[in-house]
Amino acid sequence: MLALVRPDSWNFPLFLHVLGAALLVGATGATVVIAIRAPTLRRLLVRTIGFLVLPAWVLMRFAGQWIDSREDIPGDPGWLGVGFIVGDAGLVLLVITALIAWWGLRRPERRWPVKAVAVISGLYLIALFVAMWAMTTKPD
Amino acid sequence: MSRYDWLLFLHVTGAFLVIGGAVMAGVFNFSALRSERPSEVVLFFRFARLAVAAVGVGMVLTLGFGLWLVHDVGYGWGETWIVLALVLWVLSNALGGIGGSREKKVRELAERLTAEGDVPSPELSARLRDPVWLAVSWGSGIVVIAILALMIWKPGA
Repeated sequence: MLALVRPDSWNFPLFLHVLGAALLVGATGATVVIAIRAPTLRRLLVRTIGFLVLPAWVLMRFAGQWIDSREDIPGDPGWLGVGFIVGDAGLVLLVITALIAWWGLRRPERRWPVKAVAVISGLYLIALFVAMWAMTTKPD
Repeated sequence: MSRYDWLLFLHVTGAFLVIGGAVMAGVFNFSALRSERPSEVVLFFRFARLAVAAVGVGMVLTLGFGLWLVHDVGYGWGETWIVLALVLWVLSNALGGIGGSREKKVRELAERLTAEGDVPSPELSARLRDPVWLAVSWGSGIVVIAILALMIWKPGA
């Protein structure tokens, strides 16, 4: 019921955080679709990750840190831990995905890079929804 | 977890499908815009249909669970942010519907041109860059973001 009593000063960072997360979901979904359905469009894959997925992650993560500094949540609740894990480990995964996609662009004869991008991005998309469940329902 | 938690989760899931689907549609429409061969345009518009399906499911979830939340929490049905959100929800769907019907016509033209030799066409290029269609498509996305802002700030609550 936190949303019902939220101070006004939390609204803007929360808006940016949710917007960034939703953009990240869409951009990651587009990455999965391109990698699975159009594996030859490797330049588009690299551009989608570089110009959309990574900037959306930055918006989500930094706005998340901003609102975390405002809320001053006591203790170390599990739902917040899930958010941090998916957020921070996600950056590592996304950077690896970007490098693999770039490698696939340089080596068009190799199929594994695009398959790897599809698998990693698909798993990250699932992780994003798990994080969204944790952040929304805030289980103990 | 309480019923409120589940309702909020499903409502937010719907919102993520709507915004995420709109982003995907934007990526594919933008890619179609930059394509020269009609077969590429067809490919991107087929991908965009997946995104539109996600938006459609999300729209139903946001409305259904949103109305349930209003009832469950006890918000007033006449509160500014709820009325505005419903109006914008209808507007977004209307804009999406108009954009979708135009997109279908462009896709059909691209499919015909693909069958006729897949040669770049000035007509297809002009239809893809139709400012009305672009304004309607992007406008629909902006309205969705405005709904998100209403859900966060809740003016009049």
